[in-house]
Amino acid sequence: MATTARQLSTVPLGENVRFQRALGSVITYVLLALFSLLVLVPFAFMISTSLKLESQLFSWPIQWIPNPVAWQNYLNAFRELNNIAPGLTFGRIIANTLFITLLAMVAELVAVTLVAYGFSRFRFPGRDVLFIVMLSTMMLPGIITLIPTFLIWRTLGLIDTYDPLVMAAWLGGGAWAVFLLRQFYLTIPRDFEEAALIDGANTFQIYFFIMLPLIKPALLALGVLIFQANWNNFMTPLIYLNTTIKFPIVVALKFFQESLSKEAPKWHYMMAMSAVMSAPILLLFFLAQRYFIEGLTVGGVKG
Amino acid sequence: MDNSIWATYSPTLLRWILLGGITLGAMVLLNRLLTALGIRRETATGFSLVLPWVLGFSIFSLYPFIYSLYLSFTEYNIFQPPRWIGLANYITMFTADRSFWPSLRLTLFYSALNVPLGLAGALGVALLLNRSVRGIGVWRTIYYLPAVLPVAAVALLWRWMFSPSSGLINFVLQPIYRLLNVEPLAWFTDPDLVMPAYVIMGMWGVFGANAVILLAGLKNIPKHLYEAADIDGAGTMQKFSNITIPMLSSALFYNLVTGVIASLQIFTQAFFITIPNRAGQFINVRIYQEAFTFRHMGYASALAWFLLLLILLLTLFIFRSSSLWVFYETERK
Repeated sequence: MATTARQLSTVPLGENVRFQRALGSVITYVLLALFSLLVLVPFAFMISTSLKLESQLFSWPIQWIPNPVAWQNYLNAFRELNNIAPGLTFGRIIANTLFITLLAMVAELVAVTLVAYGFSRFRFPGRDVLFIVMLSTMMLPGIITLIPTFLIWRTLGLIDTYDPLVMAAWLGGGAWAVFLLRQFYLTIPRDFEEAALIDGANTFQIYFFIMLPLIKPALLALGVLIFQANWNNFMTPLIYLNTTIKFPIVVALKFFQESLSKEAPKWHYMMAMSAVMSAPILLLFFLAQRYFIEGLTVGGVKG
Repeated sequence: MDNSIWATYSPTLLRWILLGGITLGAMVLLNRLLTALGIRRETATGFSLVLPWVLGFSIFSLYPFIYSLYLSFTEYNIFQPPRWIGLANYITMFTADRSFWPSLRLTLFYSALNVPLGLAGALGVALLLNRSVRGIGVWRTIYYLPAVLPVAAVALLWRWMFSPSSGLINFVLQPIYRLLNVEPLAWFTDPDLVMPAYVIMGMWGVFGANAVILLAGLKNIPKHLYEAADIDGAGTMQKFSNITIPMLSSALFYNLVTGVIASLQIFTQAFFITIPNRAGQFINVRIYQEAFTFRHMGYASALAWFLLLLILLLTLFIFRSSSLWVFYETERK
């Protein structure tokens, strides 16, 4: 069908159309290349700046490949941060960030797989109402619950601990995560569970040995997205953490920026730290791109 | 104070393990209890499975939601108990607070420019990618890149790019400045240009990711629709406006709604790029400042409720208008 339709339209026009097609694809590639330059040039600028000496920062025209290459910026940036925040070494910053990110991620994954299983596989009164309520919480601006939530943690005496950043993940996690997993559960045929039930498996066994292995791709996608969200999160650690030594990398970066004078912003250090902050996420993205994109397109196309 | 890693992490770690155990234990207990009460097994298990979410929702969404509504009618500085002042916060917001209208203007203008421009750009890129180009994986990776970066890193990068005296943007624009014989633009430090600069930065962040989402939507459009149109002799523009746009409208709609909700809540960027006073401040940042800098918890709650109503109103408006332009296949008669 496809070829006949195309042939029909090409026959009377011949050469002219072939030329137009070729021109069309040249224009397409040129535009695609231009757009990717728009993405990549700022990137290159970040890396290039992070490898410059302070004296080269403002030299015009811009030196894309610095001479000499100042690798030591990556050490010195964190050393300087450590000077203004004693104890906050590079290792400590990474440990803090990983501690928050991993605890929140594990808890959310456990909670979300269970909750989404409940919403997709069991009939109980009020289920659909609850599900709609859950979806509508996605529209709630985070700031509206922030103040009372802050007051809860304050009453519990847990301000300036990591608790406010990792505990809530046990309790159901993000609505979009439940929604995404539910979509995956729904694609699994019921036969699997029924067969297992006949063999005498209980609900937990079915969940653990049948459902979890089947949704592994979705779990990976979700894990990657939750890791990213927590690693990049700025608002809550900013509000809950006061002691500099507890800062994750984003807040440490903000602290460093504030300590610099307006006259001499050390862009080479700031860009080095930004690059370090971005590196794990970029690595994860290159390793698990398919999951990133899948996870985000599920809502966008099917939703 | 002992600040060693173990001393800082272990209390949280212990409480974390404990809370996880309690949550799972509560689920098992609830299941036993409901079954013992003679409730159908499926119902009991279902309830138990969603228990964590019900608890989380009640403690961290429902209660804060109601309590913040209450707080918005009070004066509360954390140290003294909340004092009921009726609508005073809302009246202050609309009449006395001189920073309210500029912040509303800034936030709304930012969304109004950022979301449609971002979507249009994304649609353009998605259409290009859909023209059966080679190496689609590579293009997709490149375009997606900005969306995975930490917002803070993106903000810092663009602040440096827009640096008036030595940033990349003004370097590129230098020939134009010279040609027109004008001073280089000050971007983030110019009250009139800070918003456009924010919009450009925002577009860089999202449009690639939106393009990938829209591309998935484009790939879902059945080929036979285009073939039928070819046979009928439809032109490129006709196919675009009569097939592509209607078939893509639900994906566009989703992106529009989430885009508006997200852009009205812009926050992190403003911490890394100071906005000149005269230009105002994004609403979300104003709420943060009122609450955590000035400890005006009551007034901050009122502002937060205003933001919520604004989001609801805009979303409702988009939903209402959607029947005019969003096409759902299942509606077809």
